Amino acid sequence: MTDVDQEKKIAGNGKVKKHTPTPITVTHPENVDVSKVRLYREPAWKLRLTIDGDRSYTRIKVVRAAPLSHPTRYISLLDAKDEEVCMIPDMKRMDEDMRQIVQEELDRRYLTSTIESVISIRNEFGTSYWDVATNRGPREFVVQNVAENAQWLGDHRLLLVDVDGNRFEIPNLGDLDKKSLGLVEMVL
Amino acid sequence: MTTQTQIKVSAEGASPFREDSPDVVSAGVAAATEDDERVWIRVATDMADRDVFAERWLVITDRRLLIMHANGTQATNGAALAAVQQFPLSDVRAARVEPLVGGGRLEVERHTGEPAQVYYSNSLAPKFSEVAETLQQVSVGEEPTLATTVERSRCDRCHRVLPEKDGVCPACVHKLDTLKRLLAYMAPYRARVVLLLAILVAETGLDLLPPLITKHIIDDVLIPTANFPLLVWLVAGLFGLRVLAWGTAVGRRWVGAWVGFRAIEKMRADLYRALMYLPLRFYDKRKVGALISRMSNDSDLVEIYLIFDIPYIISNGLMVVGILGVLGYMSWELTLWVLLPVPPIVVASTLIWNRMEAYWVRWSAKWSRLTSHLNESIRGIRVVKAFAQEQREGQRFDRRNIDLRDVSVSAERHWIVFWMVTNFFMSSGVFFVWYFGGRKVLGESLTPGALMAFITYVWMLYQPLKWFGDFYGFMMRAYAGAERIFEVMDARSEPFQDPAATPMPQLRGQVEFEDAFFGYDPGKPVLRGASLSVRPGEMIGLVGKSGAGKSTLIHLLCRFYDVTRGSLQIDGVDIRNIRLEDLRSQIGLVAQQSFLFDGTIAENIAYGKPGVKFDDVLRASYAANAHEFVIAKADGYDMQVGEQGNKLSGGEKQRIAIARAILHDPRILILDEATSSLDTPTEAKIQQAIARLVEGRTTFAIAHRLSTLRSADRLVVLDAGRIVEVGTHEELMAQQGFFYKLVKTQQESSAMTVSKELES
Repeated sequence: MTDVDQEKKIAGNGKVKKHTPTPITVTHPENVDVSKVRLYREPAWKLRLTIDGDRSYTRIKVVRAAPLSHPTRYISLLDAKDEEVCMIPDMKRMDEDMRQIVQEELDRRYLTSTIESVISIRNEFGTSYWDVATNRGPREFVVQNVAENAQWLGDHRLLLVDVDGNRFEIPNLGDLDKKSLGLVEMVL
Repeated sequence: MTTQTQIKVSAEGASPFREDSPDVVSAGVAAATEDDERVWIRVATDMADRDVFAERWLVITDRRLLIMHANGTQATNGAALAAVQQFPLSDVRAARVEPLVGGGRLEVERHTGEPAQVYYSNSLAPKFSEVAETLQQVSVGEEPTLATTVERSRCDRCHRVLPEKDGVCPACVHKLDTLKRLLAYMAPYRARVVLLLAILVAETGLDLLPPLITKHIIDDVLIPTANFPLLVWLVAGLFGLRVLAWGTAVGRRWVGAWVGFRAIEKMRADLYRALMYLPLRFYDKRKVGALISRMSNDSDLVEIYLIFDIPYIISNGLMVVGILGVLGYMSWELTLWVLLPVPPIVVASTLIWNRMEAYWVRWSAKWSRLTSHLNESIRGIRVVKAFAQEQREGQRFDRRNIDLRDVSVSAERHWIVFWMVTNFFMSSGVFFVWYFGGRKVLGESLTPGALMAFITYVWMLYQPLKWFGDFYGFMMRAYAGAERIFEVMDARSEPFQDPAATPMPQLRGQVEFEDAFFGYDPGKPVLRGASLSVRPGEMIGLVGKSGAGKSTLIHLLCRFYDVTRGSLQIDGVDIRNIRLEDLRSQIGLVAQQSFLFDGTIAENIAYGKPGVKFDDVLRASYAANAHEFVIAKADGYDMQVGEQGNKLSGGEKQRIAIARAILHDPRILILDEATSSLDTPTEAKIQQAIARLVEGRTTFAIAHRLSTLRSADRLVVLDAGRIVEVGTHEELMAQQGFFYKLVKTQQESSAMTVSKELES
């Protein structure tokens, strides 16, 4: 049997026999279950979190664990020291008022803009100058070395990071109008 | 250049933090403030709120803080004059920036009521962190300060966003100035440059003559089928011209290379000197890779430009002029037909070259992805095998390989199209000449030989035009490369030549930090008012979590950076007034990662004192406990240590570095984690060597393992940029404060550290 055959066999076996992972217990000061947690604003501009109506945290940070691949799942609540208090596995399974707060906090944190159409892209000296319409209004930005700073998040989803670290997303290239698509394809 | 001096905020004079505001905002501010109120800060954000890209203004006066709308829609309903939010400065409790994903938020907490928030995109983050710092100073009752300059992110002239902060705008390169500066490098070889030009002219002439001779062969020998002696003469003439042309071609390259490579050598030397003398602050902002590419890629671009392109431009320019002259002389009517396809050739080649370039960029990107994958998987072959991922790595490689194939195919297709289009236009010109020239031959107003010569010239004329599109782009890149090189050369170097500096050839080693403030990034101070007085010969152990400011304190002592506020004095003289050469020659540094240079062990020990006697090298080596391992090496002190000393072990390198510091004989010694990452017996040897070195010198030691600082006279505990505790080990343990806690956590985690060390 050749090496390649052997490899195939091993890989094949791996697929059939799924072994159960050895459980790892994580000890953390809080790491509480999401059902025991309440988020509320008191006063209106301050986010608070209480656990079992017992311990309370202010200065809570709401972050996505995997902002690109799982934007509505695995939402982590961090305390002022950036330590995780709890993880929300899925936003869908939360009650309405909590979910609203979480969504607001996420919107306040993730300032990635969505490109709706492209007005022009100039390519000069290895740097591309973009003039686009986004969900936040018109914007010009510069991407240096497009090959490095454009990240494909799927076959049709694209994330661009400009020279300053601002982020622009094209959720689906197919949704762009023909002219915009043509311009984007010119540089990518 | 961004200077780091900070000024007190005042209403007078220009400040990058008082931007020109639109009339609506100015009117609004005027309405909301009193007449004698001074505007400290007036800055625009590019996000009116987190969901809109639009201007909004933050205005801070000596009395209040205002946030103003800038757009006209609010103006129409009369609301623009009223601020979005305003409150007295005394209401500010704290200010900070919250970094977000793709932007940030300035948060101003108040004693009463809702905090003010200003969103901004990442492009403006440095500006707002500076503003937050100033507001924070105000809130704790300090005198507010602001940096005098901010990094430029847009070109001053064309307002294009710059590809690099404070960098060169590729569109606004001063082509003429840059060319002049480039040519200045050739100035010393003026005679050869003139010779080169003469050769170029001669070469062009020689290239122009052969078609004229073939014309005579056809008209005077072949058509009348007579005059054999003339044929011999003409062929001999052709041969002679060919030989001469070879000669000039060789001469051009010979002289061109001589001049060009010398100019480039001088430029590289200047660039390297500039890099050596630049302050460390210059290196903080730039990636080492980018600087090295400046040294290699940019100087390559310029090299090609000087050695190949400039002669090429001149010779082709001469050629085009010469050919047009000859053609016009032979038949101006035909010349017009010849010129007809020129504009389309130029336009087509420019257009297609631009697209071609995009393909080449893509091709090289794909190629580098493929090679980096290769690199990664071969280097990490142990991991690949350990996780049995050979097959998946193969699949990943295939994907990249296929990508590369596809790009190569489409690049090649474009190339074929380019070749086809230009050739089409070029041959269409030739068709014109055949047709209209042929008619002239029939009408006997042109000889057949002249027609043949004409056709040869036409091909010669079109060839250089084909590359026109490429040429312009390449030239621009070469200019941008040259400009980047000159930018480094023009950056302000460290003040080694300051005539006002105090010469201090013999330091005592008394060090005094007085309320020292410093931050690598002006918005994020790392040291916040450190005061410390050190006696000559004292050993100070610096303790604190990472980021507490230990290394920063030491960087200030080496004067790699200057304090932003407060002062640092050595022997009672401000460090900024001490002659830099004297200061550096009396400070010795032993760092965690000892950096050795390629060369022998002896050369490395004598690095700070080249030409020192071998006996002294030996003495230093004994004192550093290095001697025993050095003599065990086959070549002893003559052993080549390899690049970065990679032929020696960590402990060996460390001992060489200590010997280097001992020989250097500094008055002030800095040990930056000098004993970490060593096994215990080696560490004992090094501790012993260090103890000898420390004797009688003012010493600052940073150590992560607190136990290694037992020999220090005093320990200084830093936290968040401030000195929180000072005292001996015992005193601090008894105090049960910061230091006590640090020791306790370290003891607790030592078990974990051991397991980690085993793993690595």
